[in-house]
Amino acid sequence: VTWGLPHDASLYGWRVDWLMNTTSVFVIIMFVVTAIWILWACVFHGPKHRAHYDLGNAPKAVTKALILSGLIFFVVDGNLWIHGLADIDDVFWNFARADAAPNAVRIQVNAHQWAWDARYAGPDGKFNTRDDIVTLNDIRVPVNTPVVVQLGATDVLHSFSLPNFRVKMDAVPGMITRLWFQAKETGAFEIACAQHCGVNHYKMRGRLTVLPEPAYADWAREASELGARQYDPADTGAHWGWDWEKGNR
Amino acid sequence: MSSDKVPHASAPAAAPTPGAPTAEADAPAEAAPADAELAQHLQPIHEAPRSFLRRYVFSTDHKVIAKQFLWTGLLFLLFGGVLAMMIRWQWAYPGAKVPLIGDLVLKKSGGVINPAAYNAVFTMHGLIMIFFAVTPLLIGAFGNLTIPLMVGARDMAFPRLNMLSFWTFALAMTLIVVSFFVQLGSAAAGWTTYPPLATKVGTPGHGQTIVVAAIFFAGVATIMGALNYVVTVIRFRAPGMTYMRMPLTVWGLWLTSILNILFVPVLGAAALLLLLDRVAGTQFFIAGAASVRGGGDPILFQHLFWIFGHPEVYILILPAWGFVGDFVAFFARKPAYWYRGSVWALIAITALSAIVYGHHMFTTGMNPMLGKAFMTLTLIISMPAELLFLNWLHTIWKGSVRLPSPMLFTLGVIWVFAIGGLTGIYLATISTDLYLHDTMFVVGHFHFTMAAATFLAIFAAIYFWFPKMFGRMLNEPLGKMHFWLSLVFITLLFLGQMGVGYAGQPRRLWDPHQYELWKHLQPLNRWTSFFAFGLFVAQLPFVLNFFASLFGRVRAGHNPWRVGTLEWTVPSPPPYHNFDVIPTVVRGPHELGNPDVLRRLGRDWIGQTEALPAEAPTAPAAQAQGTT
Repeated sequence: VTWGLPHDASLYGWRVDWLMNTTSVFVIIMFVVTAIWILWACVFHGPKHRAHYDLGNAPKAVTKALILSGLIFFVVDGNLWIHGLADIDDVFWNFARADAAPNAVRIQVNAHQWAWDARYAGPDGKFNTRDDIVTLNDIRVPVNTPVVVQLGATDVLHSFSLPNFRVKMDAVPGMITRLWFQAKETGAFEIACAQHCGVNHYKMRGRLTVLPEPAYADWAREASELGARQYDPADTGAHWGWDWEKGNR
Repeated sequence: MSSDKVPHASAPAAAPTPGAPTAEADAPAEAAPADAELAQHLQPIHEAPRSFLRRYVFSTDHKVIAKQFLWTGLLFLLFGGVLAMMIRWQWAYPGAKVPLIGDLVLKKSGGVINPAAYNAVFTMHGLIMIFFAVTPLLIGAFGNLTIPLMVGARDMAFPRLNMLSFWTFALAMTLIVVSFFVQLGSAAAGWTTYPPLATKVGTPGHGQTIVVAAIFFAGVATIMGALNYVVTVIRFRAPGMTYMRMPLTVWGLWLTSILNILFVPVLGAAALLLLLDRVAGTQFFIAGAASVRGGGDPILFQHLFWIFGHPEVYILILPAWGFVGDFVAFFARKPAYWYRGSVWALIAITALSAIVYGHHMFTTGMNPMLGKAFMTLTLIISMPAELLFLNWLHTIWKGSVRLPSPMLFTLGVIWVFAIGGLTGIYLATISTDLYLHDTMFVVGHFHFTMAAATFLAIFAAIYFWFPKMFGRMLNEPLGKMHFWLSLVFITLLFLGQMGVGYAGQPRRLWDPHQYELWKHLQPLNRWTSFFAFGLFVAQLPFVLNFFASLFGRVRAGHNPWRVGTLEWTVPSPPPYHNFDVIPTVVRGPHELGNPDVLRRLGRDWIGQTEALPAEAPTAPAAQAQGTT
């Protein structure tokens, strides 16, 4: 059951979905118990029922309350804590591991009102050079390959959100942030801006296309050649890329 | 007032000396008669002012100031509510002309909410509801009303500061209204006011500047009020009113005020720096293309904002939790279950609320170590919250539950807070938050906690204390109708928000349906809007009830709910000086259903000042109180 979650196209999205689903089960159980408890008290312990004088501070009662809240805490919050930490350590915030993969695809995205500029290093592996691939609102990645995105912003805050891949990261002026994902299937997906960024925030929409590896290689070669043809050394505004930042920070 | 019958009316009219032992923290459990004598001397009775202006406008009486906050708060609740209806209209029928009020308030765009207007509408909805509706109602109105009456004081510690607090607040409210009439409209950078969007880079109009100034002044007013509350509780508790005999309402309001004093100044600093960025050419929060030599740091603002902002959600909910703690006991006719446990849970939550704020910033690219620390601390806060919750549930269990309107609304708070609290843990955890951050799920979560729970708590308090404030009872059938309609619609409304959020729909989108991802949510969004309209209309019985009862004939006695806290020992409404004689407290606030009391007095409750006939008469003056 997906409970309305968007289609998961990423290798690790199941971790988020699993954690949300297990938590939802706990949450629903606790809510139902609470609701029944309140209704039961209202119906069966009403005005005709004689109030049971109980200060609730007897050692036995206190122990019971502490054990009950402790139990809920360790089971429900404990589940979130253990898996949440593992998820970010192993996957979502382990940028170094993704970046270290030999076939990793590196992309720089510069957000501005109200579009996503994307830049690939091209064959030379260096950003801000003649052979860079530069696109607007159109990011293409190969399937089954780690994709590392470094984010910048020109004007205000934006947030690069890939609902189908369960990841999101703010783009902040004056700062490089990052996220990574790995697609497990091909297809066309949407990039959403998740941070309020002004009048046209609602249509700051990009397209993410996951291609089979050969198709991606073809596209990358052609796009790089096109980029080189259109390269203008004098147009400094177009050279917004930066040196790729290594490591987790 | 009739000061002639009061023993110490002729005492020198000196203001209470700070540091005087009116109510020391370590006051003996059974106050000595000398303490009672001293309390009378230190809080002499002042004559009530006679001029209209001093009585109703520039009043220093906490009960009048409470009403001023009540009226203005309700007015702004309506204002914020209308803005909410506009947001919901836009999501139900994107780009369609707003019925009824469109032509009136959206002349320039032909009655349509265009994206620019929409940004101002949702921004001001949030700011007005938080700072100008919930804050004045829960803290301004009921803090002012209940604290002196419940701790047994004649007024606040600093009555003039109290007056200044309201009028500074009035200035802030005026600025909010003015901001709608300047060119380019009111603030539009979201209630969180994140720069650089909130600087001239993103919002060049004067509206944003005026609103940031208004937040600053609202903060100044809040700090003045909070200082008053904190000092009043520490110094002005009646003899015998130890901390562990204070009603939970006072506990909640007191802890809220401590948080306000500590953290609203941080918001003030952030607002001031932002104002400088807007009007003085500084670049504290500007970076990127608009900056000079690298500029400042936009994320710094988020740190400042959320150091205040996370305590703020507890600032709003702690008074509500206090009300709930008292009301479940009062209406289940049982003592609050493990009172001390609830008090310590409230204290623990207050302390923890200061060190969890980072979960609002999980997607800002923070250091993973920092993120993990904030995630751990945030999850820990659910432990005391669970304890508090279990204590409420235990209090109504095996009680003799009565369901008049205040109790219905109280159970409503528990109901919506259960949903709101439980859904918070998804957002405390980094990996699930990376998906849910900035979606409507967050909006649904904080509307259940900060909006639904405080909204219902405000009405619980209004139905409960209206008799004391105005000397009249509210109509019960209308109150019940108001409750059931509100509960059903508010639950469905915010569940709808959460539902689309679970599907990933981002918040603050003028039209979410232009994304392929969320096109299919149009019917759910529309239904959610219908529930919102239903909630708005459901307030009609309350408005009718409020005005009809205000001028109605059903007078409330001293103590219509038959409970023992101090405010119910004085007439409704209380005289200017509250207590003819400062009471001496001999027991806790929830002595209900005690079989011993039932046997000796023939009723199931006993006042905080009342000694049982067989008990040693430690406080002779107190015996006359409370029994009326």
